[in-house]
Amino acid sequence: MAAINPEFRTELKKYGAFDFNACYNCGNCTAVCSLSTTEDSFPREILRFSTLGLQDDIKSSLKPWLCYYCGECSTHCPQEANPGELMMSLRRWLSAQYDWTKLSGLLYRSLPITIIALLITAIGVLAFGAFENFQLEPIMKFAHQFEMIAIASVFVLILLPNVIRMWWFILKKPGVKVPLSKYFVEIREMVDHMFTQKRALECDKNRFRWFEHFILVIGYLGLLFVTVFLDWFASKNIFIISFGYLLSTIVFVVTFDFVSSRMKKQKEISKFSQPADWLFVIWLFLMGFSAFIVRLFIDTGLLDKNIWLYFFHLIILVQWALIIVPFGKWTHFLYRSFAMYFAKIKA
Amino acid sequence: MNKKIGVYICHCGGNISDYVDVEKVRKSIENDEGVFLVKTTMFACGDANQKEMVDDIRRNELDGVVVASCSPKLHLITFRAVTERAGLNKYNYVHANIREQVSWAHSDDKAGATEKAIHIVKSALAKVRLAESLEPFKIPAKKAVAIIGGGVAGMRAAIELSNMGCPVTLIEREHFIGGRIAQWDVLFTTDQTGKELVTILYNDLISRDNITLFTGAEVISNTGCIGDFKLKIKVTPRFIKENCHKGNLQKAILACPVEVNDEFNFDMTKRKAIYHNFPSEYPHLPAIDPKNCTRCGECEKICESVDLSQKEELIEVQVGSVLMATGFDPYIPAEGEFGFHEFDNLVTLPQFKRMIELNDSKLIFGGKEIRNIAYIYCVGSRQTDGENKYCSRYCCTSAIHAAILTRKKFSNIQNFHFTRGIRTYGKQEVLYAESLKGGDIFLQNYEDDPPVVNQQNKMTVITVNDILTGKREMSVNADLVVLVTGMVPRADNSVGSLFKLPKGRDHFFNEIHMKLRPVETVIDGITICGACQGPKNIMESVNSALSAATKSFSYISKGELEIEPIIAQIDNDQCTWCRVCAEACPFDAIHKEINGTKDIAVINNSVCKGCGMCLPVCPSDAINLIAYSNREIESMIDALAGD
Ligand SMILES: Cc1cc2nc3c(=O)[nH]c(=O)nc-3n(C[C@H](O)[C@H](O)[C@H](O)COP(=O)(O)OP(=O)(O)OC[C@H]3O[C@@H](n4cnc5c(N)ncnc54)[C@H](O)[C@@H]3O)c2cc1C
Ligand code: SF4
Ligand code: SF4
Repeated sequence: MAAINPEFRTELKKYGAFDFNACYNCGNCTAVCSLSTTEDSFPREILRFSTLGLQDDIKSSLKPWLCYYCGECSTHCPQEANPGELMMSLRRWLSAQYDWTKLSGLLYRSLPITIIALLITAIGVLAFGAFENFQLEPIMKFAHQFEMIAIASVFVLILLPNVIRMWWFILKKPGVKVPLSKYFVEIREMVDHMFTQKRALECDKNRFRWFEHFILVIGYLGLLFVTVFLDWFASKNIFIISFGYLLSTIVFVVTFDFVSSRMKKQKEISKFSQPADWLFVIWLFLMGFSAFIVRLFIDTGLLDKNIWLYFFHLIILVQWALIIVPFGKWTHFLYRSFAMYFAKIKA
Repeated sequence: MNKKIGVYICHCGGNISDYVDVEKVRKSIENDEGVFLVKTTMFACGDANQKEMVDDIRRNELDGVVVASCSPKLHLITFRAVTERAGLNKYNYVHANIREQVSWAHSDDKAGATEKAIHIVKSALAKVRLAESLEPFKIPAKKAVAIIGGGVAGMRAAIELSNMGCPVTLIEREHFIGGRIAQWDVLFTTDQTGKELVTILYNDLISRDNITLFTGAEVISNTGCIGDFKLKIKVTPRFIKENCHKGNLQKAILACPVEVNDEFNFDMTKRKAIYHNFPSEYPHLPAIDPKNCTRCGECEKICESVDLSQKEELIEVQVGSVLMATGFDPYIPAEGEFGFHEFDNLVTLPQFKRMIELNDSKLIFGGKEIRNIAYIYCVGSRQTDGENKYCSRYCCTSAIHAAILTRKKFSNIQNFHFTRGIRTYGKQEVLYAESLKGGDIFLQNYEDDPPVVNQQNKMTVITVNDILTGKREMSVNADLVVLVTGMVPRADNSVGSLFKLPKGRDHFFNEIHMKLRPVETVIDGITICGACQGPKNIMESVNSALSAATKSFSYISKGELEIEPIIAQIDNDQCTWCRVCAEACPFDAIHKEINGTKDIAVINNSVCKGCGMCLPVCPSDAINLIAYSNREIESMIDALAGD
């Protein structure tokens, strides 16, 4: 027997959900959803769980991650209950549940706290600059080391434990029994999804968005590789340099399109934007763009005179690495890939 | 006298002629006795054929007509009208059904079908040979209508009849007018209050000279029939002549030592023996309830208008038509139904509606503030095992409306609705949407798996296998459970038997035809409307009230009534008054009268429907049915049986 908990809806609203109460369970959303299957049918069921406050059922469910927000459900909902947006909010809520530090939840729920966190990191970077007497060389060197340390520690301290928690909620706690070998066999599935997001292709009418998303992932991961492992900013190799230009261009051009579509609000997916969504696309854009300009200034010898530009880039980078990657929307990319992996294991 | 008869045989565009050889039918009767002309036609009912028939009848001075075509239900009246247009009395027309009874029924046997058609046409010919011209009976009709029941339906009907210039006697059993709606305060879907509606209707009503209102009044007998109902009305006294001096009424009520349950609030509060339902109740005069008043005289000492010596009155009125608007009772759950009377925090929806009105800033029940409210729907309606198979129509909307009101009027309310599928049909759907958006939670169960109410450690828990969550068992802790009860017929509906009004299987008063004659009853001159006919909301009650008013008026508006002449006749010489005919008559049209030296049966022409039930039971063959005499029927049988 499950007790109904109406309060849960108040909690979900803090994660951006709204009007899903209006659902009268007609099931149109599930019927039109091109990703919903007989075995894994959504979003109606998840809306129902959310209305009744069945938190445990949601926590152990992969369905919010199986949704790619094609938006068909919201378009066809006769009650304007915005099922698509609820699925999005549940992904935020779920990431907050997986996060052992609880910081994700805090940042999702409160814009002021997000702003304060961004300010603190910015001040930290500037303080460090002051400490180094705003000398470009040692700062750039340190920044390069910082990138590696940050990536390693965010992964070990935050992301890995959180993915383990996700596994706990989804497979361990509900007592799903699977042979160990399956964990190895299905790893391919995860990598596949992480790089190609091929499931999004099944979303009707959305080939272009999928393509944009795909090259963005390639661009982003490539840029990460080029800056961290090939030390793009310090490199003299013409191939590495032009490769970096190409990748950063991909990142800022695609994200620019994402930002403008969120502003135009024409597609379901871009109609309702939470601070976390804005933060993600804008910072990714700024990162690509500032990296591009920084390298351009290096190549034209202007950077020494315009050291502020490098600081701007560094602030964005640190905020990205310490806030958005571990506690922001970046994690969705990770959890989604693992969700596909767990789904395959469970099946 | 040999008649000149015209016969028309219809193809019905192939519906008949595909299976019946109409030419053969024509040939087989063209030389029969009296047949002057026989024609086949593609569509007998078509304009061209109708014109041709009128010409034929006029030119040849035909005095009998037969059309062999579809069912008389479809076109008997059409062809009767054709003969009338041609100047021939319409009872000289006889209809032969060779479509429903022949071509459609025997599409597998064309020869047999043709043979049967020939016989049916011949039997119609036999009847038309003996047919006589008849004139409808005319009886005087009293131009006045009695309305029984002064709820919203009765009041609105009264005003409508008054508008048409028809005098109305409005008879209300209670001392106060308005019926149920006075109890509901804020109403869906207009958010007006019931009192506002009653005020509008009452003020309009009393401003009219041609409406006589009796309150505390009941019809106790009826003699007579359409055009002339003679009603006896018993009027119980209110024991109050006029209003007390300012403020004295309140004092008199305080002084009254008798306290009884207040039915207006469904027994949740008490009232005195001298009372009004609410301060501005109509008529504004309070009443003393004779059943509970001990005649102690305490109130009389304070208010000079109290007059305990008033006596019951008997009044007779004569009207041409009666309009029934006696309304409904809310269903009372059985002992233990969902814990009714077992648990202390269960109320019915009507009680809850009163609670919303009577509580101010906080919703208090049994001394406790209410936050979580569970509504269990369809209680007493849509019963799978019980008698009430119907849906009560008003209750989904009313419960949802009440839930919204409660949320708006009191703070921290959470509503849980346990439904069997919501039926906020039509424009009421917006309330459902509003309730969902406002955060009400809806669960749904199958009829054979109702929610269960339980009490453990002073907590009331409702559990249900929610079909919207894959039949998962869900539970809610509720401070108050509202049983959303349906409508049932008035417990005391004996007034119906005074008029022999038939009831349906659901025990509500029954109309003749749900779609085509929705406010008429099989008792001529009596119409029904409002919730006495079945569950209705106010709009539906008033719709039917307006239609019943118009129908009642149409019976009597000319001051006389025309009645079909096809009725039974008694042969006074043969009749020996054995009364079996009177017992067989389903309409009470036969009574005994003295004729010279002996008793005989007499038919009341305005009540007889010509159904013929009395004919076969008469041992002395003293009854004749006009237009269906023994001779006619026998000649038809001969024709059918002949070769
Ligand atoms: C809880 C509840 C809430 C509701 N809320 C709404 C709402 O918000 N909106 C809406 O549209 N509808 C509502 N309804 C429906 C509404 O009450 C009915 O449609 C309406 O009352 C029907 O009117 P009526 O005149 O046919 O019957 P009634 O209101 O029952 O009136 C019948 C009258 O006839 C009198 N009477 C009965 N027998 C006799 C007799 N033998 N002789 C003389 N008089 C007699 C009675 O005393 C009564 O005054 C609600 C119903 C319920 C139960
Ligand atoms: S389409 Fe809308 S109303 Fe229908 S089930 Fe989905 S969310 Fe609910
Ligand atoms: S209106 Fe609703 S509550 Fe009332 S009987 Fe019909 S379905 Fe049940």
